[in-house]
Amino acid sequence: MKRILSLLIALVMVLTFCACGNTEKPAADSSGTTGNTSGTNNNANTAGTQTASGNTLEPVTLKMWFHGSTVTPEASEKVMAELNAYLKDKINVTLVPIWGTWGDFDQRVVTALAGGDDVDIYFTCNWSANEYNKYARDGYWVKLDDLLPKYAPELLNIIPGGIWECAKTNGSEGMGIYAVPGLKDTATQNCWDVNGTLLAELGYDVDAVCAKGLDYYSDEFEEMLRKAKEAKGADFYPLLIEPAVLERMVTHSSIITGDLSGGNVLSFYYDAEHPSKDLGNKIVNKYATEEFKKFAKRTYYYAQKGFISPSCQNVATANDYRTSTQNSGQYLIGTQSYAFGCELDFSKARGIDVRMVPETAPYMDCTSGQGAMMAISKTSKNPERALMFLNLLNTDPKVMTYVNYGVEGFTYTTNNDGTISFIPENRQNYSPWTNGVGNVRILPPTKEQGPDFWTRFAAYYNSAETLPYGGFIFDSSKCETEAAAIANVYAQYAFNLMSGAVDPDAVLPEFLQKLESAGINTLVNEANRQLAEYLGK
Amino acid sequence: MTMKKHYSFNTASIESRIIMHIVLFAFSVCCIIPFIFVIIISFSSEASIKEIGYSFIPLEWSTSTYSYAFEKLPQIWRSFLNSIYITAVGTILSTAMCALYAYALYRPDFKYRKFFTFFSFFTMIFSGGLVPTYMISKQVLHLSENYAALIVPLLVSPFNIIVMRTFFKTSVPLELIEAATIDGSGEYSTLCRVVLPIAKPGIATIALLNALAYWNDWFQALLYIRQNKALQPLQALLMELQNNVDYLNRMAGQMGTAAIMESMRAPTHTLRMALVVLIVVPIACAYPFFQRYIVAGLTIGSVKG
Repeated sequence: MKRILSLLIALVMVLTFCACGNTEKPAADSSGTTGNTSGTNNNANTAGTQTASGNTLEPVTLKMWFHGSTVTPEASEKVMAELNAYLKDKINVTLVPIWGTWGDFDQRVVTALAGGDDVDIYFTCNWSANEYNKYARDGYWVKLDDLLPKYAPELLNIIPGGIWECAKTNGSEGMGIYAVPGLKDTATQNCWDVNGTLLAELGYDVDAVCAKGLDYYSDEFEEMLRKAKEAKGADFYPLLIEPAVLERMVTHSSIITGDLSGGNVLSFYYDAEHPSKDLGNKIVNKYATEEFKKFAKRTYYYAQKGFISPSCQNVATANDYRTSTQNSGQYLIGTQSYAFGCELDFSKARGIDVRMVPETAPYMDCTSGQGAMMAISKTSKNPERALMFLNLLNTDPKVMTYVNYGVEGFTYTTNNDGTISFIPENRQNYSPWTNGVGNVRILPPTKEQGPDFWTRFAAYYNSAETLPYGGFIFDSSKCETEAAAIANVYAQYAFNLMSGAVDPDAVLPEFLQKLESAGINTLVNEANRQLAEYLGK
Repeated sequence: MTMKKHYSFNTASIESRIIMHIVLFAFSVCCIIPFIFVIIISFSSEASIKEIGYSFIPLEWSTSTYSYAFEKLPQIWRSFLNSIYITAVGTILSTAMCALYAYALYRPDFKYRKFFTFFSFFTMIFSGGLVPTYMISKQVLHLSENYAALIVPLLVSPFNIIVMRTFFKTSVPLELIEAATIDGSGEYSTLCRVVLPIAKPGIATIALLNALAYWNDWFQALLYIRQNKALQPLQALLMELQNNVDYLNRMAGQMGTAAIMESMRAPTHTLRMALVVLIVVPIACAYPFFQRYIVAGLTIGSVKG
């Protein structure tokens, strides 16, 4: 008896080992560079044979993973009950949302993807851990090119071609679209974030100053900072910077999508007034340019004058300090990558008159185009229904409003002019990240935004020019060694240089030399080769 | 005649004792001060923090954080109860499993002793890795969105098993078991009436280690609780709040205004500190109950093997 029992136990354990052995495989795949796991292949095949024909659709449950939301289970249940009742008649889908939180999204999603969870739709973008281009290359997303015209024709029309162009990436099944890009704030515009209240206190005509624009290198700029410093005392630091953003806005350089070398080492300089104008520029190592040198010198000069807080120059404290100082309005001039209408929200939240003074015209590139996307996972058993849902979500205002704002009478009420007002105590329990959901332009405007908000919103973003390199996405997989080495060097020097903590005359040459030995030239050449190839076709 | 002080052979001289006391005192202060600071911050008013930052002497004291937390955030209560429930059930189960497993390994007449020793020891050196563990737990064992997901993954700790086995070996003589057998005691009765009472200090130590592991764990919740947030333990809630703030600050460059708007909704500094206090106090209260066993327990650890 004992013998049989122990044999049985041993057998169970051996089986467990075997199971472990099997599961190792996809794990290795996910961390490595090779393509499909065997599991996802099977699913893709079954997906291909299943076609949704006829009007009677089988009931399907879709799991969808959102980023950065504040949603309580009770509130979610309430909203989903209404939404799913509506969806049942439309496409016979039951939506099960997974409300990601900002801090835990990255780790959770990466584990779930590697573990082959049965999630149908994932949020993805070019700044989260499940980076769109990389995960497309590694074969996690379903390629949508063939499915789109069939299952999501309205979606195909509502999203402008320029943004679809940005969604094209070199994935596991060749060049194509692997996720539905969100129609949100699809352009980048760098602005000076000016504390109008303080500026008026200093005796300036705020409207005139803002209309004229600010020049980082001008004497007036320096005088403004000096006056503020004198008026508010030695503990007040008028220039509140986020070094990387400051550098990009002052030198008019853009991020190259797909540059994973830690910092944005690769840069493309554009024309501030007409970003689409072809200056004949190539991708460059931005730290070797005259523009960067001039910028670093000026920033160092301001820092020496005491205009920049030491907390801004320390990587460990910079982010916390910036956020809290911004929110309490203790600054004169800050940096901000603009979103339409944000000055209203900021003024309200900070209790000061926040002005946004553009430094460059808005431009569109893939960094903003890929800012929030929804990808269908290869593990999805019903990719075409998932796409049908995404189609509805992005084109049917009702569905979008349910998901984003909740249920009327619960989280918001509708006013006579068509705008809505939130019911704060319920809205705070149901707050998905608006821009992360999809096409925000079909949402009803809030009372504060005004009835024609989304029209103005669309006009602003549609006017944005595309950078000369358009939808170019750099594939850094061939230079991973260099990228890693550069990332180390970058971490050591770049922040200090951009925040004015060190003297560029002394440090910049050393930095450049180290970048060179880390292989920056290989990276830049490869990027330019790919760019030429992209533009040539 | 001079009075000569007699030291027992293992007593240090006065000078070295003074130095040791100073060092230990300084060390204790280093350990305690951050915690006192956290308590002070949690009782500071938000206005004071905005004005002068964190300070040992805030401009104004306030209990508003605690009243806000308990009145407005029902999840804190729920999480608190979750933590207690998980810790209680987890500690009992894991301690029982550990003691039983170790007892079997300790008995020399158990035929497959070597195999099972190796079986548990092996996992100390080679773990399955995160993703395979996740897949097994989720797809095979269905540990997802339930309390079991927070309890089962931490159930067996090979290190504790080895410590426990060593404890049995050093404190429970085999003759005792033989004697019990001769007196007509069955296996279960021997275990419950003879062995376990002797092994109490060891079991208490393991129980404390397990309780700490369960109480402090947030990672299982991160992996397995993502839809049914009501099940989140307190630690996971705190981690989530803290991670959200860090993430938004870090991502401000990429996300632009969205990050700023979102971070304005983040809970205040005082709330986070109040959560820390809520987490630390209950487990700190549990320590004295276990303390008298810990010294005995620590010495077993030193001769493991």
